[in-house]
Amino acid sequence: MRLLAALLLWLPLALQAAEQGPYRRIVTLDWGLAETLVGIGVTPIGVADLPNYRRWVGEPAMPASVQDLGLRTEPNLELLTQLKPDLILITPQFEAARPWLERIAPVKSLAIYRPDSDPLHTAQQVARELGELSGHQAGAEQLIRDFEQQLAQLREKLANRALPPFYLVSLIDARHVRVYGSSSLFSSVLRRLGQRNAWQGGDNFWGFSQTGVEQLAEVPEAALIHFAPAPLGALQALQQSVLWQHLPFVEQQRVYAFAPAWQFGGLMAAQHFMRLLEEALLHD
Amino acid sequence: MTSLAVARPSRGWLTALLLLSLLAAVASLAQQLPAAQWLAALLKPDSDSLVQLRVHYSWLPRLCMALLCGGALALAGVLMQQVLRNPLASPTTLGVANGAQLALALATLYAPTLLLAREWIALAGGGLATALVFALARRRGLSPLTLILAGLVVSLLLGSVNVMLMLLQPQGLAALFIWSAGSLSQHNWDGVLFLLPRLALVLVLVVWLLRPLALLELDDSGARSLGLSLDKLRVLALGLAVFVTACVVTAVGVIGFIGLAAPAVARLLGARTLRQRLLCAPLVGAALLLLTDLAVQYFAGSFSELVPTGGVTALLGAPLLLWLIPRLRLPAGRPQPAVSALAAPHLAARPLLGLLLLLLLVSGLVALLLGQGPQGWAWMMDPQVLQWRVPRILGAAGAGLMLGLAGSLLQRLTGNPMASPELMGISAGAALGLMALLFLWSAAPLWARLGMGFFGALITLLVIIGFARRHAYSPDRLLLVGIAISALFDAVKMLVLSLNDPRGQSVLSWLSGSTYFVELPTAIAAVGGGVLLLLLCLPLGRWLTLLPLGESTPRSLGVPMRGARLSIMLIAALLTAAATLLVGPLSFVGLMAPHMARVLGFQQARGQLLGAALIGALLMVLADWLGRNLLFPEQLPAGLLAALVGGVYLIWGLGRRR
Repeated sequence: MRLLAALLLWLPLALQAAEQGPYRRIVTLDWGLAETLVGIGVTPIGVADLPNYRRWVGEPAMPASVQDLGLRTEPNLELLTQLKPDLILITPQFEAARPWLERIAPVKSLAIYRPDSDPLHTAQQVARELGELSGHQAGAEQLIRDFEQQLAQLREKLANRALPPFYLVSLIDARHVRVYGSSSLFSSVLRRLGQRNAWQGGDNFWGFSQTGVEQLAEVPEAALIHFAPAPLGALQALQQSVLWQHLPFVEQQRVYAFAPAWQFGGLMAAQHFMRLLEEALLHD
Repeated sequence: MTSLAVARPSRGWLTALLLLSLLAAVASLAQQLPAAQWLAALLKPDSDSLVQLRVHYSWLPRLCMALLCGGALALAGVLMQQVLRNPLASPTTLGVANGAQLALALATLYAPTLLLAREWIALAGGGLATALVFALARRRGLSPLTLILAGLVVSLLLGSVNVMLMLLQPQGLAALFIWSAGSLSQHNWDGVLFLLPRLALVLVLVVWLLRPLALLELDDSGARSLGLSLDKLRVLALGLAVFVTACVVTAVGVIGFIGLAAPAVARLLGARTLRQRLLCAPLVGAALLLLTDLAVQYFAGSFSELVPTGGVTALLGAPLLLWLIPRLRLPAGRPQPAVSALAAPHLAARPLLGLLLLLLLVSGLVALLLGQGPQGWAWMMDPQVLQWRVPRILGAAGAGLMLGLAGSLLQRLTGNPMASPELMGISAGAALGLMALLFLWSAAPLWARLGMGFFGALITLLVIIGFARRHAYSPDRLLLVGIAISALFDAVKMLVLSLNDPRGQSVLSWLSGSTYFVELPTAIAAVGGGVLLLLLCLPLGRWLTLLPLGESTPRSLGVPMRGARLSIMLIAALLTAAATLLVGPLSFVGLMAPHMARVLGFQQARGQLLGAALIGALLMVLADWLGRNLLFPEQLPAGLLAALVGGVYLIWGLGRRR
């Protein structure tokens, strides 16, 4: 009898423990989580929309074993079921699909972007949470250390240079940009590096705002960083735009074209951004 | 019917319109710059003043662009209307603008090197679309309304291809999206300098062709006796109109309805002769587009860059079209063939129904078991996997069944073999209701969605039938009203999507007809409800057989006309709303299924209902299966695939019918 009682008490605890991982077969719909997983040494078995991951995120490259799960907003549930994941990672923006996903495997939502918090700070939290979930705590701590080290080094290298504030944008077309504001990940990186974001206007929950290019003239001393991929023909069209040519950073040649880096990502994206910054600012 | 024509051109109104535009432009300038700097900003801006630069390189070219595009589209409209002797012809209603746009979109995605000659790609696209429209309408004698119908059908089809491109490349196409909705925003004078010489050239050619073109108002023999090669003249003038449209689309995207509205307004102002119309319509078009654009800039404030003016003109243009249709005096189309005259040799209905049912069951089973997986194609028995397929297949089948049924009811009700929830704008009405609901109450439960969809569908149906009754049920006019309502819906959709609101993005997948989020209870309810409504319709068979015969015959045979019409309309609206909820507003299944049922020989009302329901279900099941497997692991929406297949079928059917 006592044995039975003990068993009854133990069983839920044991089940709970089993549920908490560490998980081995992880899939994710979010690219920021996917790159952070790779960063802490975990290969997810499936990631949504790999063709666009390559186009928009680029680094780190996903290992060849990773399955494409279809569109991020409508992942292929049949395929997902057949992959038999033991954990599905999402972010709040994919919350609508949760009831469906939960029938396949436990679903966990991790947010890098949260209201009123520094995305860089939450990115570190997310890396730790991913470490817990996958049993790669050491990998997570290593990633965070690497990041802090890289940050400190770059901050030092940039310290004695008088650098302008930067506009961080993606081109929508020849006339419009998505400009990343103070609550964006890369803006947070700039801040930690002791640099400034030139965009004074507001931004939305995701840390960006859509605007016409002439709005970028408000801080005359600023430089501009634009991230690939730019839509086809947009760059050529910009070269021909008189207003563009009269923007201070164009006239004074402070325009930097960056490779794709995922503005909505985590620590890996932040590291990638710092590498791009270092190359652009120190090696020219 | 009121006459559009006023005795003499009324200069007063035209002058007033132009003055109003001028005032609005001045007011807009005054908002940005003190009057003392105007001259400098307009002529020689101070390169240190970004405000002056903006006025000179952004505001002013945008103003010129609005004037040029408005004038150009009006010119194209007048030319088309003159050549085709058809007051409804215009760049939008003939599918030219959409053809040009799709060609550019395809080139952007798949052959960017071709973009060096953008206007020629647009011209090729617009030309191909026009040729397709003509090929379709020609076999039916090029009657004016047939031509417009063919044009709008082609537009719808091209539009759904465009939506599919956007779904597959959401980020890459963001720019294409803003542009395709017609954004006039400019950042230098290149656009204006691109358009100006091309328009000037066309204008010279038009003046040169003015006399022979004017003679086209005579009947063919009259004009021919004057020694004109009519066909050459028509092709040349139409080619010019297509070229103008292609240039405008290249520069700013699709600007809806100006090409239709401006000539109509010019006519209202009393411009009768070709010369008067060629002078008046472009002025009106320029003024209309300028006023719309200034209003957009004023109301949208700092977001004006991103609100496409073309979407707004379509929003204003659709009601105008609705207002115009009953007022236009059109040459009568050929008498429409009675519904039964279309039927193929009569086959035994009962075995055929059995065969269709069997086919549906087999396809359902194959769709359930066969599909792509991580290791490629495979037969799948795992219930864990099948649990995802069952609701989608059932939901698709239920929606198809209901659409087939709704289409048959509407065709019987109006005696019009082209009537359908899609072409009559009833699906669009339901979708409008749903979109409004989702914006106000994003977590609305199913009953609220169904109720709101039903409400939208019923209102649309009542409006359309009301229109039709006042104008003696002219079948083509009925469809035009419906398509105008669909165009209104398209405009709202475009605007909503271009606002980049996450709620807008989330409805895109539903709008294009994805069965992805259909749950099992909903799917079962769809099939159950569809079958129930089918059974409810069967006793109406007698009414449905008699109603297409007109007003007096059924009445003399004791059909309670008002009650019969109302009950059929209620059922059709409910069916359409439920189906729209499942697979979105555009699938053409409601048109295709009843038509195929007739071709198969179901002539009796009951037989057609049953046949169309089965065929509709079959089509949607196949579309859903294709959608799930074609681009695995990506999934295409079933409604969109059905619309593509349906559009092709429709085009084939339009061309085939004599």
